[in-house]
Amino acid sequence: MSSVDAPVADASRRPFRGRRLRLGDVLLQGVAGAAALGATVLLGLIAWKVVDGARPSLSKFGLGFITRIAWNPVPGHEIYGAASFLFGTAITSLVALLIAAPLAMGIALFLTELSPRLIRGPVTALVETLAAIPSVVIGLWGIIVLGPQLRLHVEPWLHKAFGFIPLFGTPSSSGASVFTAIVVLTIMILPIVSSITRELFLGVPHDLKEGALALGATRWEMTRGVVFPYARGGIAAALILGLGRAVGEAIAVTQVIGGGLLVSWNLFSTGDTLASKIANEYQSATSRLQSASLIYLALILLVFSLVMNVAAQVIVRRVSRRMGIGVSR
Amino acid sequence: MRKLRTFVVIAAAAALAAGIAASAGAAPTRADSTLNGAGSTLIQPAFSVWGPAYASATGVEINYSGIGSGGGISAITNRTVDFGASDAPLSPDQASACNGCVQIPWALSATSVVYNVPGVGDTKLKLSGPVLANIFLGKVTSWNDASIKALNPGLSLPDQKITTVHRSDGSGDTYAFTDYLSKVSSTWRNQVGVNTAVNWPGGVGGNKNAGVSAVIGSTPGSIGYVSDAYALQNHLAKARLRNAFGKYTLPGITGIEAAAQTVKSVPADNKMSIVDPPATKKFAAAWPISTFTYIIVPTTSKNATDLRHFIFWALSPKQQASIKKLIFAPIPKVVLVAAEKTLTKIHS
Repeated sequence: MSSVDAPVADASRRPFRGRRLRLGDVLLQGVAGAAALGATVLLGLIAWKVVDGARPSLSKFGLGFITRIAWNPVPGHEIYGAASFLFGTAITSLVALLIAAPLAMGIALFLTELSPRLIRGPVTALVETLAAIPSVVIGLWGIIVLGPQLRLHVEPWLHKAFGFIPLFGTPSSSGASVFTAIVVLTIMILPIVSSITRELFLGVPHDLKEGALALGATRWEMTRGVVFPYARGGIAAALILGLGRAVGEAIAVTQVIGGGLLVSWNLFSTGDTLASKIANEYQSATSRLQSASLIYLALILLVFSLVMNVAAQVIVRRVSRRMGIGVSR
Repeated sequence: MRKLRTFVVIAAAAALAAGIAASAGAAPTRADSTLNGAGSTLIQPAFSVWGPAYASATGVEINYSGIGSGGGISAITNRTVDFGASDAPLSPDQASACNGCVQIPWALSATSVVYNVPGVGDTKLKLSGPVLANIFLGKVTSWNDASIKALNPGLSLPDQKITTVHRSDGSGDTYAFTDYLSKVSSTWRNQVGVNTAVNWPGGVGGNKNAGVSAVIGSTPGSIGYVSDAYALQNHLAKARLRNAFGKYTLPGITGIEAAAQTVKSVPADNKMSIVDPPATKKFAAAWPISTFTYIIVPTTSKNATDLRHFIFWALSPKQQASIKKLIFAPIPKVVLVAAEKTLTKIHS
C-alpha cells in the first residue's frame, strides 16, 4: 500500500548533518544502502536478461508477435504469437476481479460495520487464512473438485439462462476451462482485496461516521456517504493489487485452464494465459526460438505488470489529492 | 565528511557484492564422486533402482532431476549437468547447439492409450491407428461413431461426445504419440507433425502424466495417453491398439520387446523410431507406440571416466533386467553394440 508522504522535517532526512561520524551509523547506512541498491540492480538485471533472452524471437517476429494468434513448436513449422494468451490473461483476471470486488467490499463492510463483535475475530482470521492456502493446493482442488462441479451444475445453467451472450457458450466437456480458472482466481484474490479494504474501512475516523449517524443517516447512507468516499483511493489500489495477483498467477491457472489457443469468446472452452503458457512449456522447450518466444511472453507480462503498478500509484495519488485526505493508516 | 561517507558506502556495497559474487562462483564445485543429470520424466523411475544400486557398488552418487526432456537437452547444452536424458532424439539444430554431444539409447519404454468411457471396462476398447488419429484430429467426435463400432462389434458404446486429453507441457510421450499418429495418418503428418509439443487440433491439456490422468478421471468420454508405467501404477483403463500386422495388442514388456525388433542397424547418430512396426508376423505382438529413451553426454568432460563407467553399467543385461518391473524393456543386442561403440567416443 502506498501512502502519501507525511511532511518530513528536512534535518531528519539527513541523519549525519551536524553530528560526529560514527562507525555504527556508517555501517548501518552502508548495509541498508547496499540492500536498496541490490534490489534496484536486481530488477534491472532481470529486465535486461528477459529482453536478452527474447532477442531471437524479437528479431524474427518483431511487434507482430503481440497480435498474432499462433503457437506451433513443431520443427520446420515453427510460428509463435502472443495474442491468444494476452486475451486469456486479460479475460481471466478482469472477470475474476469483477466477481471478487463486490464480494470483497461486502466482506469488509460486514467485518467492520455490521457483524456482531463475537464472530468478527474468527471470520477475519478465516478469510485471511484463505490467502495462505498455497496456489498449487487451490489448483489441485480446482481440477479435482471445482472443475467437475462447475461442468455438471454451473456451466449448463449459465448456458441455458445467458446463452445469448457469446461468453456463455457450449459447456465444457471436462472440468478444465477458462471459466474454472476465473473462479479459482476469484478465490485467490478475494482475501487480499477484502483484508486491505477492511483495514481501510477501519481507518475511517470515528467522528466522521458518528457525525453522519448523528445527522440521521442510516447505516447504508453513512457507508455510502462517508466510508466509501474516504477509502476510495485505497480501494482502487487494493483492486489493482488483486488484479496484479490474478495476472501473474501461474500454477493454479495452469492446472485448471486446459491449455491451447483460445479462439472463441466462450468462457467454457480451454485456453492459456501468458503465465500458464510459460509455466507449462518453458522447462520442456526444445528449440531456441521456442524458448525465446516464451521469454518474449514473459517480457509482455513484465511490461503489463509494470504498467499496472504505475497505474495503481497514479490512481491512488489522484484520488487522495482530490479528496484532500490520507488513504491509509 | 560527505565525500568520505559516500566513499565508505560505495566501498561497503562493493565489498558485499564481491562477497556474493565470490560465494556464487564457488558454489558449482562438486565432489568428483557425484554425477548430476537432468531431463526426461519417463526415465526417472529407473533412477530409483539404478541410483542406490550404483552408489553401493561404486560409491559414486547419481543426482537426477526429472525436469522434462526439453529441460534436459538445454541443461546439457549449457553444461550445467554432467548428462541429460531425453525421450526424443536431438534434432539437427539441437545437436549442433549442444556442440560435441552424443546420444546413447539406454532404455525402452511405451506410451499407452487410456480412456474413461462409461460401461467400457479396462482393455475392452479396441482402436486402430487411423481411427485414433481421426479422434485426435476431431473428425470422429462421438463414441458410437461407425468407425469405432466397426472395431468393437461386441461392445455397447454410449452416444457420448469424445474429449481428447493431451500433455500441455512438452513431453517424450507426446513425441512418441505424435510420431505414431504421423506414421499412420498422412493428414496428421501434414497438419500437426511430430514433436515433444505440438499445436493440438483440439481437446484438453493436462500438466504432466498426473494432470492428464486427473482430467481423464473426472471426464466421462475422454481419451488420452500417458507413460505405460504411470498407467499401470494408477490402474487406468488401457485401450488395445491394432498394429500393422492386424493384431490387437496392449503395452507391456512383450509388446515393447517385439517392437524393438524393428531395429536392424543403428545409424551413426543413434536416432531410432520404433513406432508402428512393419506388417510382418515377426511383429505380431508389437505394441505400436514404443520408444527408445536416450542419455545425452558431451564427448569431452571432466567426469568422462565416471560417466562412461556409469552408462556401461546401466547398459549391462543385469541392470537392464532390474528395471523391467517399471516397464522398461531391455535394449536389443544390436542397439547395445552401437551404444557401447558410442561410449568409446567419451573421454576427458
